[in-house]
Amino acid sequence: MDDDLRAKLDRRNELSLRVRRLLVEDLHVPRELDEIDPDTPLFGVGLTLDSIDAVDLLVQLEVKFGINIPSDAEGRAALRSVNCIVDLVLAREDAERGAA
Amino acid sequence: MELPDRILTLRRSVALSRLPHVHYVRLRGDGAHELLDRVFTRELYVRVGQLSLGLLLRDDGSVLADCYLGSDEDGFFLLAECRDRAELLEYLRRHGEGTGELEIVATDEYALISVEGPYAWQLMARLGGPEIIGLPFMTFFHLDGMICCRAGKTGEYGYWLIVPSSREGSVWDDLREKGRALDVGEAGLDALDVCALENWFFNVRREGSGDLTPLELQLQWRLSRSKAFIGSEALVERRRLGLRKRVTTVAAPGPMSLGERLVRDGRPIGEVVNAAFSPARGDWVGLALVELEYAHPGVTASLTGAGEILARFISTPVIANRSLYVNPQVHSYASRHEDDFPSLVPS
Repeated sequence: MDDDLRAKLDRRNELSLRVRRLLVEDLHVPRELDEIDPDTPLFGVGLTLDSIDAVDLLVQLEVKFGINIPSDAEGRAALRSVNCIVDLVLAREDAERGAA
Repeated sequence: MELPDRILTLRRSVALSRLPHVHYVRLRGDGAHELLDRVFTRELYVRVGQLSLGLLLRDDGSVLADCYLGSDEDGFFLLAECRDRAELLEYLRRHGEGTGELEIVATDEYALISVEGPYAWQLMARLGGPEIIGLPFMTFFHLDGMICCRAGKTGEYGYWLIVPSSREGSVWDDLREKGRALDVGEAGLDALDVCALENWFFNVRREGSGDLTPLELQLQWRLSRSKAFIGSEALVERRRLGLRKRVTTVAAPGPMSLGERLVRDGRPIGEVVNAAFSPARGDWVGLALVELEYAHPGVTASLTGAGEILARFISTPVIANRSLYVNPQVHSYASRHEDDFPSLVPS
């Protein structure tokens, strides 16, 4: 694996761990960190988060990752899995790098 | 209607399907709870009227069946997808030995019909009354001799009807008639499989047909943390040895086929375990079993089948389901052209 890809995946793994820690520690998902697979649905089936959890999640993502996601349907659609959230954070980082 | 049109009908309006691949199994008697506690991978905290989505595993941890479990006054029932109904029944009877009084009934006296799509609730309200609109996901109720389950594996509003076989034709025709103004269509199993893939609902007949366990399949959310079940010892052992591969979603501009290898840096890093053309996206989507260090969105690899096609691992779901945006209190099929919904393809 080349260094560039290695660095990208290291960053991805770091963010994934932080998101899973947020789910367990702040939203009290009753799972060990390594039991939350990156594509597990967060709402409905899967981790069965509800609308109140969704509000908590939006707040925590703003506090801990600085990303502001609207609480409408489009915002909820962006929060469907750990991988989806990591994609959002990485996209914001890319946009900031592009703007700098 | 061709497959792409049937898929898009389900994604945009409402579509009916017969579900002969789903087996309705009744479990009655004092032994039913004990049997299910042994074999069902989730806790049995299922209240009357609730559904739970779990698995039945073999001793080696591979998946025998993908099941909804329901509980009502008549005991428990399973809506089980598996490759072989005879194997399922033999499994249940074998693991039910010594549990006390137990009746396991799987007959052809019932058939299943699914109603799925962003406006499925509107059709169901015409069939059973407006209160159906408020039926929470993963619940069911008895309706005029049928059982109506708020379920489905397409990411859209979904209802599975358990219908006496003698009435299957008339219920089907009634749904077609009542759905005329909604442009109701027929989807079928091939269309349902593509929709499940786009939303990554587990498919026991595709990625689940080999010896993969819930660990590789990203199905740990379906495993109880507090009880042992058939297959759980194998999962503990596999965890102890360390996971080496994981199933992840892949997209490509050209065809993918089952078993096709994905190559990166001159060596195979994975293989395709499910794939289909997505008419909503206009490309191919699939699932691949990939070495763990590469199994992340953003990684690319070459498909080695017909020509060299660059595939990309992506996050799932790969569709922005319209049902996420359709609110029965606000929207209707008739007003769909005035409603500003996002594209089916996530930006």
